[in-house]
Amino acid sequence: MSSELYACVRAAEFPAQALLRLRTDLETQPIAVLDGPALQQTVCSLNRHASRRGAVLGMTRLEAEGMSGLQLLPRSVEVETAAHAVLLECAAKFSPRIEDASDGTGCALVLDIAGTERLFGPPEKLAQRLRDEMATAGFRVSIATSANFHAARIKATAARGITIIPAGEEAHALEKLPIASLALTEEHKETFALWGIRTLGELGALPEVELVKRLGAAASDWRAMAHGSARHTFQPIEPEFALKEFYDFETPLEQIDSLLFIGARLIDCLVARAVGRALSLASLSVDMELEGGQSHHLAIHPAVPTVDRKFLLKLLQLEMGAHPPLAAVVSLTLTAEAGQSSKMQLGLFAPQTPEPSRLDVTLARLKAIVGEDRVGTPLLEDTHRPGSFQMEGFQVDAKPAAQKVECPRMALRRVRPPHPIQVALHAMKPVAFRDGDSRFEIAAAYGPWRTSGCWWSQDGWDTEEWDALAASRNGEAFGCLLVLDRLRNEWRLEAFYD
Amino acid sequence: MPSAAALRLEIERTLEHRFPAALTPAPRTLYEVAPTGVASVDTLLEGGLPVGAISEVTGPESSGRTSLTLAFLAQRTETGQVCAWVDAGDAFDPESAAASGVDLKQMLWVRCCNQGGLARGKPWTRLDQALRATDLLLQAGGFAAIVLDLGDMEPAHAMRIPLATWFRFRQAADRTRCSMVVLGKTAYAQSSTAVVLESAPSQPEAVGGTVWRGCTFAVRRGRQRFTPQLASARKPPASTWSATAAWEAGRRA
Repeated sequence: MSSELYACVRAAEFPAQALLRLRTDLETQPIAVLDGPALQQTVCSLNRHASRRGAVLGMTRLEAEGMSGLQLLPRSVEVETAAHAVLLECAAKFSPRIEDASDGTGCALVLDIAGTERLFGPPEKLAQRLRDEMATAGFRVSIATSANFHAARIKATAARGITIIPAGEEAHALEKLPIASLALTEEHKETFALWGIRTLGELGALPEVELVKRLGAAASDWRAMAHGSARHTFQPIEPEFALKEFYDFETPLEQIDSLLFIGARLIDCLVARAVGRALSLASLSVDMELEGGQSHHLAIHPAVPTVDRKFLLKLLQLEMGAHPPLAAVVSLTLTAEAGQSSKMQLGLFAPQTPEPSRLDVTLARLKAIVGEDRVGTPLLEDTHRPGSFQMEGFQVDAKPAAQKVECPRMALRRVRPPHPIQVALHAMKPVAFRDGDSRFEIAAAYGPWRTSGCWWSQDGWDTEEWDALAASRNGEAFGCLLVLDRLRNEWRLEAFYD
Repeated sequence: MPSAAALRLEIERTLEHRFPAALTPAPRTLYEVAPTGVASVDTLLEGGLPVGAISEVTGPESSGRTSLTLAFLAQRTETGQVCAWVDAGDAFDPESAAASGVDLKQMLWVRCCNQGGLARGKPWTRLDQALRATDLLLQAGGFAAIVLDLGDMEPAHAMRIPLATWFRFRQAADRTRCSMVVLGKTAYAQSSTAVVLESAPSQPEAVGGTVWRGCTFAVRRGRQRFTPQLASARKPPASTWSATAAWEAGRRA
């Protein structure tokens, strides 16, 4: 008994299936996919609803447009490439040895399933699980299992649903299939038609020597295939794991809601693929091709890798809201970077901190309210320039602070931007200042504190600071920081002590 | 001979029509508080600012309200907790915060602005932005303290914040165990506030007339929701505290 066992998975009308995988709303519509140069487009693929309405492969665009209710979609190589990767990924869950046996508009993968019985059960169960997996990914496939590679491939091409060919029954299983199931040239097809050979069973019944004499050495292979006994050297492929989804719109989209509708589906697909490998999405890049040839890029970096679809979609919505594309979108590509699922050791006595995923959404919402660069953590710069800092993204770091201040310090409240003021001096000390229409008397002024730096560059500074105790006419006293810009000879009210 | 319990019960029954439960102390709920880091203020507040409630620190400019709030945040971030500063007037000074001991990495700073964000370009005011941001942060949870800084806001504007907003903030703070501190010129949260601290400037300390070394501030407890008001207390309790200049630390912030 042969130890070989193969399962062939074939997605017929692959161009149409690849497009419909992302457009679940079109599943019940008759769809035809057009391919070819602009003026010579013909139907290269269609779904079963279109076939029922009388559409056939090879129809011209004009003929297809004449059929009422038939929706025409352009063929997209990028979408098919992404769909092929998904198909391959689903198959890889059942066997690491896969050979690509695609032909024409069908995408076929042959899996070496020998020795998988203990994992997935008998071939019937494996085939059913494989089909369910493909259906979850959005593909309608036919599956055939056989001990012979070519028998499984040919049967999956010709039959629908699941076919299990028992070992030794290959010839019987293939005998009624048309001879077109073999990859014959037109000349050989005509020859067999003249001989009255229409099925593989009839071809297999021909004497091998006489057949080779008339049609050459290839005829021996055809006969062996028809018998289900052709030998094949398995050539497994090594699929590259890339979390990438692409969608090409029929018409350019301007509405963000419409983009999110497709984006949600793409995120679903990416998450499902990541979950299949026990991974999470660490980051998400969104590339949009815009009308006019421009492109628009967005990046989403959750605090921790996640597989929460709603959370990722919310982040995408907020990011798109904050950075909307400047023109209508022609195509959408989502590329994810895989990361390990988040594992966090919680402690009974650890301080309470915001939940990372929820904090991400909150920060994105805050940025939408006050602006991108106005939310975060202030980072003091390594300079003596007064009031210099930069904003950094906020991240929760539960480590306690290193420094501890024993007694409270006087704090400043900055005036942004600083108010230009007019200062009255007496003995080189400020005694009063005017801010707009208000005049303030200075009871005590402490200073000056002179700082300067960066004199070699354009943004150099040379200032003189005074701590002043001022009072308005109605008697309100306050402490403030007055600064003389010595480069411009201007006085400014920089801050209040509070 | 009657026992002490029986005797107490008899006295209470006798006086029941005049003093309900005359000899039994009224049950009192203990609320969690967080120290402010200023000993005299902690004494005034019987431990510190309440956790899961709204506190208000009020006063005019240079009354020490920002210094006191930063001292409180320094205490919270010291233990690795996360805080937020919603800055309606964009007046927060990171250098002062660092000098006060606040771990800036543990603090989220939301700077409100006049123009609003990029989202739809709606002309939100700073106050509106501050309230929205505070609402989001309170609902998100996980922040040990959130400061709503209305220190530069005119009372005429801030008084227009609806009571329902403060009530919602109070509920959210209670649910997330967050100490919400409102900085303002006067108290705005009214019945939703747990503690009101009224600050006032006292006197500056100078050395030799050239260096401003620090300042002493007066603080008064204007309202404390969880403490029973004693009939004999005619004046609200008050205290003073001192803050030194940042340069006193011997290092730059």
